[in-house]
Amino acid sequence: MLESLRVRLLAWYSLILVIVIGTFGATVCYLYWRSLVREIDLDLGERARAVASALRPAPGGTFDLELPAAGGRDFGGPGEGAPYYAIWTAAGALVAASEPDPGEPPPAAPATRRLAGRREVVVTAAGGAIVLVGRDAADARREVWSLAGTVGTVGLLALGLSLAGGWFLAGRALAPVARISRTAAAMSAGDLAARIPLERTESELEQVAVSLNAAFDRLEQARRMERRFTADASHELRTPLTTLWTETEWALARPRAGDEYRQSLKTCLAAAVRMRAVVEGLLTLARADAGETEPTRVAVGLRRVAEEAVALLRPVAERRRIAVTGGGDEVGVAGDPDRLREMVSNLVSNAIGYNVDGGTVDVVVTHAGGARLTVADSGVGIAPEDLPRVFDRFYRADPARARNPGGAGLGLAVAKAVAESHGGTIGCTSEPGRGTRVEVVVPIADCRLPIDD
Amino acid sequence: MRILVVEDERDFARTLARALEEEGFAVDVAGDGEEGLFLATEIAYAAIVLDLMLPRRDGWSVLDTLRRGGRQTPVLLLTARDTVDDRVRGLNLGADDYLVKPFALAELVARLRALIRRAAGEVAPVVAIGHVRVDTAARRVELAGLPVELTAREYAILELLVLRRGRLVTRAEIHEHIYGDAADVLSNTIDVHVASLRRKLGRDVIETRRGLGYRIDA
Repeated sequence: MLESLRVRLLAWYSLILVIVIGTFGATVCYLYWRSLVREIDLDLGERARAVASALRPAPGGTFDLELPAAGGRDFGGPGEGAPYYAIWTAAGALVAASEPDPGEPPPAAPATRRLAGRREVVVTAAGGAIVLVGRDAADARREVWSLAGTVGTVGLLALGLSLAGGWFLAGRALAPVARISRTAAAMSAGDLAARIPLERTESELEQVAVSLNAAFDRLEQARRMERRFTADASHELRTPLTTLWTETEWALARPRAGDEYRQSLKTCLAAAVRMRAVVEGLLTLARADAGETEPTRVAVGLRRVAEEAVALLRPVAERRRIAVTGGGDEVGVAGDPDRLREMVSNLVSNAIGYNVDGGTVDVVVTHAGGARLTVADSGVGIAPEDLPRVFDRFYRADPARARNPGGAGLGLAVAKAVAESHGGTIGCTSEPGRGTRVEVVVPIADCRLPIDD
Repeated sequence: MRILVVEDERDFARTLARALEEEGFAVDVAGDGEEGLFLATEIAYAAIVLDLMLPRRDGWSVLDTLRRGGRQTPVLLLTARDTVDDRVRGLNLGADDYLVKPFALAELVARLRALIRRAAGEVAPVVAIGHVRVDTAARRVELAGLPVELTAREYAILELLVLRRGRLVTRAEIHEHIYGDAADVLSNTIDVHVASLRRKLGRDVIETRRGLGYRIDA
């Protein structure tokens, strides 16, 4: 395909070149021919005038010709291109001629004419005599042909050279295309690290290469993130599965005491709970990624949802003497109550999990630029360098920090997905050592809330 | 054989330690990379089971630091992240084996035993000393073709002496390998076990170097 592009380019190029060289050569030959003919005509005219002036009208309607008076010019000499003459009376009777058969008298005078490869000049002399001087133009024609031959040879040489150069230049110009296409082929064959080698020239094709490389970068980045996500997801699922497996294997290896069985089952239950959390989180994210076809949108009181989530988590908080307070205004939003509850629950359990014993969690809903839910804690906080990534899937800030029980690093990612699927935004500010504040803003729905029962 | 398990999942680490102890290993557990590195540097374990995703210092770094420090303890990597890169990186840093979670306990135990055997310069699982045949894979002992019943402690001591045969093994080494840190055992317990082994296998199998330790002839 590439070769054919090169060949097509070259074909057009040579066509144009042939036209140019041909036109040029033809023009040169024509101009040369014209200048030769003009020279011949001038010479013939001069001769004719000389002959005419050598003509003396004699009485009786005849003429005397004293040719030597014409400057000794010879007519009818041997060889090609020798001039000849003929003289007629006005009545058309032949007076004299350098050739035996000069043919018919010319129809009009004065005139210059071409006849069977000869040039002839006709003038009128004194007494109405008609003087014709002519010569064969074959030598001029030969000269022009020889010039044409030279021009043709040189033109062909130039054409050949230009074609070779054109082939080379087309190849050079298309070389980046070959590079780009090789890289793209490698890329589509799965080599994501392939990049188009750049040259220092800033041609249009280099721009294409730069743009393509940027696109390849993004592709590779996306692929890397996807791989990481898969590896992380498999890690989070395999870890509790491993506990489950090993624990069960151990328990079944030999008869155990009742207490040992109870302890074993407790461990298995904890692993199952953790697996469920990961699976639920992944499902929510997958649903958000796919874009739910028919999202549930009912009137939901955000504060009520928040209070329900807090009520479920309060026992967990109390175990660590963490005070969870709630409050604010009731604000109606259009949304999926289950998803919103999941979101609040994730935020609050993070606030509890990453808190210090005896700390506080404050959950407030207000009207401020929308329905604004704020979850603020007095926990360990997030380092500034981790802050931009806390909403990434499976991202856990410092792994040295106490792990949120049951957390798989999906809580904030899920919260973000829920907020965004409700047309909202989520943001996070934190002061390490003092606490973290997560704010969700979703549009207020202009609707009637279900009455509290 | 005393081994170290470096694993941050507390439930799993506990289960694993319990299961390995039942298989006759003395097990120490480290909950993060720093603690794991400290223990691995301080104590001459027969093998280390190392998780890769660890808090404070990841498994690769623990392994790298350990190998740079010249420790040759066999290391079996354990991870739930099953990517080729992870495995290749671990093995290139000097790991001896690799197991992806979840796994069957029997496989982990078999691999650990193989690692320990290989580290002791032993290729075949069955070692013969005179009339005594010790099968370190099946953990069985035969005397003149007849099976001999040994307690777990007795077998552990015999195995250690067999794997280090031709060399003197001190009481302290035996103590460390059989009981780990946790147990506080009377100092003459080892002598009692050795006496029992002599009764079952014959007087000449284990040689006593008074005040130093024990030795089995190569």
